[in-house]
Amino acid sequence: MTDPIVAKAATQPGPEPDRWRQLARTLLRGERPYMLYIAFAILLVIFSFASPWFLSVENFLNIGRQTTLVSIIAVGMTFVIIARQIDLSVASNLALSGMAAALAMAYIGNHWIVGAVAGIGCGALVGFINGVLTTRLAIPSFLVTLGTLSAARGLALMVTSTKPVIITDETYFAVFGEGSLLGIPAPIAWTAAAMIAGILLLHYNIFGRRIYAAGGNPTAALYSGIQIKRVTTIAFVLTGMLAGLAALVLSARSHAARPDVVQGMELDVIASVILGGCSLFGGRGFILGTLLGSLIIGTLNNGLVLLGVSSPLQLVIKGAIIVAAVAFTKR
Amino acid sequence: MDAHAAGPLVRVDGITKSFGGVRALRGVSLEIQPGEVHALLGENGAGKSTLIKILSGVHTQDSGSIEIAGRPARFDNPTQSRAAGIAVVYQDLSLVESLSVGANLMLGREPCTPLGFIKKGALMAEVEDFLRQHGIPLDPRVSVGSLPFAYRQMTEICKALMGDVRVLILDEPTSALTGDEEQILFDAIATVTKRGVGVIYVTHRLNEVFRISQRVTVLRDGANVGTFTTAETDMKQLVAAIVGADHAAVEVKETDPDSHSVRAAARPVLALADVSNDRLHNVDLSLEEGEIHGLAGLIGSGRTEILETIFGLRGIDSGTLALNGAAVQLRRPGDAIAQGIALVPEDRHLQGLVLEHSIERNLTLPRLPFFSRWGWIQQRAAGREAEAAIGKLAVKAPGPSTPAKNLSGGNQQKVVFAKWNHPRPRVLLLDEPTVGVDVGAREEIYGLVRAAAREGTGILMVSSDLAELLLLCDRVSIVIDGTVARTFARSALGDAEQLHHLLQISQTVNELPT
Repeated sequence: MTDPIVAKAATQPGPEPDRWRQLARTLLRGERPYMLYIAFAILLVIFSFASPWFLSVENFLNIGRQTTLVSIIAVGMTFVIIARQIDLSVASNLALSGMAAALAMAYIGNHWIVGAVAGIGCGALVGFINGVLTTRLAIPSFLVTLGTLSAARGLALMVTSTKPVIITDETYFAVFGEGSLLGIPAPIAWTAAAMIAGILLLHYNIFGRRIYAAGGNPTAALYSGIQIKRVTTIAFVLTGMLAGLAALVLSARSHAARPDVVQGMELDVIASVILGGCSLFGGRGFILGTLLGSLIIGTLNNGLVLLGVSSPLQLVIKGAIIVAAVAFTKR
Repeated sequence: MDAHAAGPLVRVDGITKSFGGVRALRGVSLEIQPGEVHALLGENGAGKSTLIKILSGVHTQDSGSIEIAGRPARFDNPTQSRAAGIAVVYQDLSLVESLSVGANLMLGREPCTPLGFIKKGALMAEVEDFLRQHGIPLDPRVSVGSLPFAYRQMTEICKALMGDVRVLILDEPTSALTGDEEQILFDAIATVTKRGVGVIYVTHRLNEVFRISQRVTVLRDGANVGTFTTAETDMKQLVAAIVGADHAAVEVKETDPDSHSVRAAARPVLALADVSNDRLHNVDLSLEEGEIHGLAGLIGSGRTEILETIFGLRGIDSGTLALNGAAVQLRRPGDAIAQGIALVPEDRHLQGLVLEHSIERNLTLPRLPFFSRWGWIQQRAAGREAEAAIGKLAVKAPGPSTPAKNLSGGNQQKVVFAKWNHPRPRVLLLDEPTVGVDVGAREEIYGLVRAAAREGTGILMVSSDLAELLLLCDRVSIVIDGTVARTFARSALGDAEQLHHLLQISQTVNELPT
């Protein structure tokens, strides 16, 4: 305080940063967000030259619809990965939660709220199990969720001996699938809702700060009084709930819950989050980056199909992209 | 082997080394004879570690020369140093716990068949021969993880000796050993020196110097104070050399004389009565409002553990911890923080800061609820607090959004202090608050500590810098083997030399002279 240079440095930020700059900073938060925009732009250019169908409104709506499931779950996965964990069980959790929702409506009460509570509740339960096993028994989340990936899928297949369960409630279809809110199709509205909730929670709530600290430096977080186990468990529960929400959206689209859906989708979810600028080493990442990441993955999937790339080759390309993205985030 | 008779094994001459403007070594010289145990003494920051890192090739000196057996040498990496015959056993061991002693000793150069299968019999035979030759009582078939600590350390020493070793460097090898284990280690060292290997023995414990070394070199502030023949010196002379008698006397005079009289009516804000857990036993300690209370003791004595127990990081098995006279149970750091207890931990990179995150995020982390309403962060309140703390503590940074990793050590430490700036804690626990901090920032931190005490915070401070304790503290407690052996008022203590002497003697006989 006696040092004039110091005093100057302390007051230098000067004019209060206005809201728009604040927002811009939030948007740009992350490792290399600008690289994301460039990657996305290059992808769009390549595909629009390569396929005449790519640059059409229908195709973009298509991409939007196809990416909803991945985008919704990726919001939760962002929390998990920032906390220096991973959740491989999300696709299996989605299948099991969808079965829970459809069976609840078939046997408990044929009302969309019953389905919603059962689906999201089932997802939360699987997430809770993941979180508790990871934090209380100190098993690496990679192994825990590899286990629940198998177990949840097995349970989903077991309950009806692999048969799908038909859903009949029209309101359910409208709320989660075919209806629209202010002209926005329901699945996209739900994705937006999950994104906004994720942004508020991660960037404007105490919980978000705690997640960042728990992943950025768990020891320093502990010494700052953060209950890392509790915070980490909540991140897993959140991811599970969003897997449940994605299950509702998917089953409303197909008017049934199937136990064998979306196998391998965890790959797309994790790829979206990593592409979106999250560090697998924890403490870094932001929700809008994740959204962009999932759009890139969706565009990639869509473009490769339009180009007539075989689905096995699509898997190879996606795998290569994930490894490349991790190589970039590693320091 | 002829070279041994001709001159020293290692001759270090006029070594200097600076780290970003801080001069760690300013012309250090050292000679090691074959078959000699040469003790290296000095306070934390005296330059011992830097010298060892230069000898082992981790750092390279700015100027000065190293000769190994008469030939000039310069190490740019640890491999070159190892090839020249210098082996270092660090405090943190580098063994694979799941493998056997034999497998660890031969790691990376196992005898193999042409197809790459390990010849286990040949491996074990070779290790057994080696151990027998050196007279080391280790079974090569036992897995390292099942061994007591001293035997692991012995394994580590064997591993270091398995090549062509001329000089063995031991860095505080006894800090985690019990008395019996120490004897095992000393026997192993004696076996090694019989073969003509020179040993550099870094330690804080003076009694060990007299037990095993032939000569001793003392460093202070990055320079030689002197080299003594152990048999011709005594503890008093060594302590004076380590502390620097003039230095200690000057600093003690700076103590504010009227800081003591103020606390006539003070009452204990924190009291530990008969507290025991896995690392502590029967700790009695009291801390008054506005008092600065020092904890002195050797590394591993339990000073840090006392702070950790008060902060809720360690459970209490028996005894009571009372705040303002009321017994409390602190299950986790969150409970302690809620009660107004704050900790500035020893390792600011690992425990104090999330380096990647901004100053503002680090500052608000421990007390997020103060900067939020219904769980939603009040960006403006948090920003204001960060600005205020940066100004108050004179953190040299462009602004609150600067990542902590971009700051200098002293400024990082100020940020760790600033985490507890608002609201004022009742009890502030400091663990080595000025380690790795430059001189200017150190003075500022002393100012912060005094200011906090003036406002009424009780401060419990661990420091290995005895002059620092004497400069700041109203009382000093001596911690030995997990308990508070005795507490002295500042006025009952003389200068740093006396306190150092007191510590050494109490460590040796485990009871204090009255």
